[in-house]
Amino acid sequence: MKTAANLNFGEKAFITAIDETHPSFRRIIEIGFTPGQEIELVNKSIFNDPLAFSLRGTVIAIRKNEAESIILS
Amino acid sequence: MIANTTVSTPLVTLVGPPNSGKTTLFNLLSGKNFKTVNYPGSTIEYNSSHFLPKFDINCNLLDSPGIISLVPSSPDETITINSLYEHPKFGIPKLVIVTVDSSQLSRHLLLVKQLLSSNFSVIIVLTMADILKKKGFTISASMLEEKIGCKVVKIDGRTGKGIEDLITVVKQQLQKENDEVTYLNKIVPNLHAENVLNHFKEIEAIENEVVNQIADEKDLRRANEKLTTLSQKLQSKPDSFTLKLDKILLHPIWGLVLFLFITGAMFTSIFWLALPLMELVDESFASLANLASNYFGYNWYGDLISDGIISSAGAVLIFVPQIVILFLILGFLEDTGYLARGAMLIDKPLSKIGLNGRSFVPMLSGFACAIPAILAARTISNRKERLLTIFIIPLMSCSARLPVYALLIAFIIPKENFLMGGFIFSFIYLFSIISSVIIAGIINKFNKSIIREEDNSSFILELPAYKIPRFSSVYRNTISSTKAYLKEAGPVIITFSIILWALTYFPNTNPQIDITNLSPEEVHEVQKMERVSTSYAAQIGKFTEPIMKPIGMDWRIGVSLISAFVAREVFVSALVLIFKITGDEETLRDSLLNAMRNAEIEGTNQKLFTPSTILGLIVFFVFAMQCLSTVAVAKKETGSWRIPILQILIFSGFAYFAAFITVNGLRLLGFA
Ligand SMILES: Nc1nc2c(ncn2[C@@H]2O[C@H](COP(=O)(O)OP(=O)(O)OP(=O)(O)O)[C@@H](O)[C@H]2O)c(=O)[nH]1
Ligand SMILES: [Mg+2]
Repeated sequence: MKTAANLNFGEKAFITAIDETHPSFRRIIEIGFTPGQEIELVNKSIFNDPLAFSLRGTVIAIRKNEAESIILS
Repeated sequence: MIANTTVSTPLVTLVGPPNSGKTTLFNLLSGKNFKTVNYPGSTIEYNSSHFLPKFDINCNLLDSPGIISLVPSSPDETITINSLYEHPKFGIPKLVIVTVDSSQLSRHLLLVKQLLSSNFSVIIVLTMADILKKKGFTISASMLEEKIGCKVVKIDGRTGKGIEDLITVVKQQLQKENDEVTYLNKIVPNLHAENVLNHFKEIEAIENEVVNQIADEKDLRRANEKLTTLSQKLQSKPDSFTLKLDKILLHPIWGLVLFLFITGAMFTSIFWLALPLMELVDESFASLANLASNYFGYNWYGDLISDGIISSAGAVLIFVPQIVILFLILGFLEDTGYLARGAMLIDKPLSKIGLNGRSFVPMLSGFACAIPAILAARTISNRKERLLTIFIIPLMSCSARLPVYALLIAFIIPKENFLMGGFIFSFIYLFSIISSVIIAGIINKFNKSIIREEDNSSFILELPAYKIPRFSSVYRNTISSTKAYLKEAGPVIITFSIILWALTYFPNTNPQIDITNLSPEEVHEVQKMERVSTSYAAQIGKFTEPIMKPIGMDWRIGVSLISAFVAREVFVSALVLIFKITGDEETLRDSLLNAMRNAEIEGTNQKLFTPSTILGLIVFFVFAMQCLSTVAVAKKETGSWRIPILQILIFSGFAYFAAFITVNGLRLLGFA
């Protein structure tokens, strides 16, 4: 299963679902990671965590384990 | 009667997602000067005020911390959102003005949707239309109004354009809603996720209709380049300049190097930039004190005015330039949008020691003052991480330590050696950062017994587009922070200096000494020394002797350290009152330094201030928990005395231990 954590630099993909069991599930969708949206990995911090995604015209940084709950097509 | 009017004064609350321009609008409407910063989470408290009289609206106006949704994810958000539904002091808002960043419509309308479905009476203010325009789009307020079903006004936060329109709409809405009773619904969290997804679907449809490409041909071409290859016309990309700059500033290696360089340069420049200004303040206070003692003569009130008030106030005011420069640099850094990047870069390392990337901004402001820093920790949603952040903030080298370090460094490094002073200064900062990291790690290990909290750790942070900092707003922030600081600290310091003066002056006001062969000045000096050593302060200080002796110091430093508990900078005033005898030197500091060089441990001819005791004192100040206001704020913010008491015991205990090791270690190695 491909998640936002597996994206390469500059790679784009559409969100298909968000793992509802993840403790940050609610915040992740509230901030705009919803199915149907296209995201792109734009930056990685040291140790590859957190990751920064371009989403809905802005850049949002989330932790790798949170990115794992974002399922891509 | 008065209570009645306050209750009936209607309330207008400003809400909105983080960094959407609420405080900017609040300042425009109220004429106030609250801090606006390019970082999500700069407002952490409900600030209240009124509309400017010229707007002729008799309402309370409230600015609020940014919220993403009406469903809280943390205890702090619960409080924030509850006070939106019913503010403990101002009641239920009559009108809610919600700021929406036009370039982020699809994310920011979620809150609007939730507010509307909770039955709030809402006005939307569209901010940052200029940024949207740069991306090649415009937004139609009237179309949005129609689609979403509430009033919409466009405002340019930088120029204030559109305020008049907003005022008109606010007046209309206030009149309309006058006799209706609204019942507010709270959102039910179980149904929430599904609702959010539905809201987003509706919002995307609305966005498609209200946001349009700019028709102008040149703009159109520019806009077209920025569109993705997808047919979705609104797949607007983030600011391209920001993306490019982030390639460097967030680079896994260069990003970190630059991060260290930026923060390092900041701390070093505080010292170098401020030094000339400090000399200036110092000299003026020295001449003022001299003037006073010449004018009033050698008697008790002359002594009170020149030493108790002017010299001690000067000893503290001397570091105002440093504070101003610190605030200015911090302000510029904040307003560019860089801080969010710093938080992201440092999240992983911090999470290893039980902190969070979001601890970065509070910790950084801890270098200015622990009090706003502890408040800023509210933006950390995980309770354990928040408490741990609050726990270690007093270890950040706050500006109140500046005068202490500046004096102590001046004692060991001659003034001509300007460069060396700056380096030692930066070294102290580095030392305090490294030790606080280690201490945080250790405390995190003992989490169960010290912090006693555990919950989901998360880091979700928007990286705002870079902006060129606006000098005027940075300048205003700096001035108002400095003023606020002086207002807070000033009275405490002056009051305490006077008390301290009295303690060092009485009861033996006119000591009997042998005055044969002594000039009038010398009589004054010897008298003063005798007076201090038989004073109340000395009697109190004698109790500290057994504690001070092992670290090579005596009761006089003991008394000064006790006074430093009120506020660290009082330490310097205390030294002035206890040691300074003459005012011959050009600057206050030189006379104090001279007196310190001559001071001997009572009853011996061993020097009191030596390189090792000075370093011991520096080490003590690095760790000790000394500021009363910090203790009070830590108690308030953590909700109990447990954390502040542990801070005092652990930090001050460790400070003493570390000073002991330093002084005796250096002496074993053969230093004085
Ligand atoms: N370009 C542009 N910038 C704006 C506008 N309005 C506000 N800003 C800037 O946006 C940044 C955020 O503004 P604030 O007023 O602090 O935002 P806030 O909503 O109070 O933010 P929080 O308190 O963190 O939730 C600041 O740097 C402002 O100068 C606008 O209309 N256009
Ligand atoms: Mg604000």
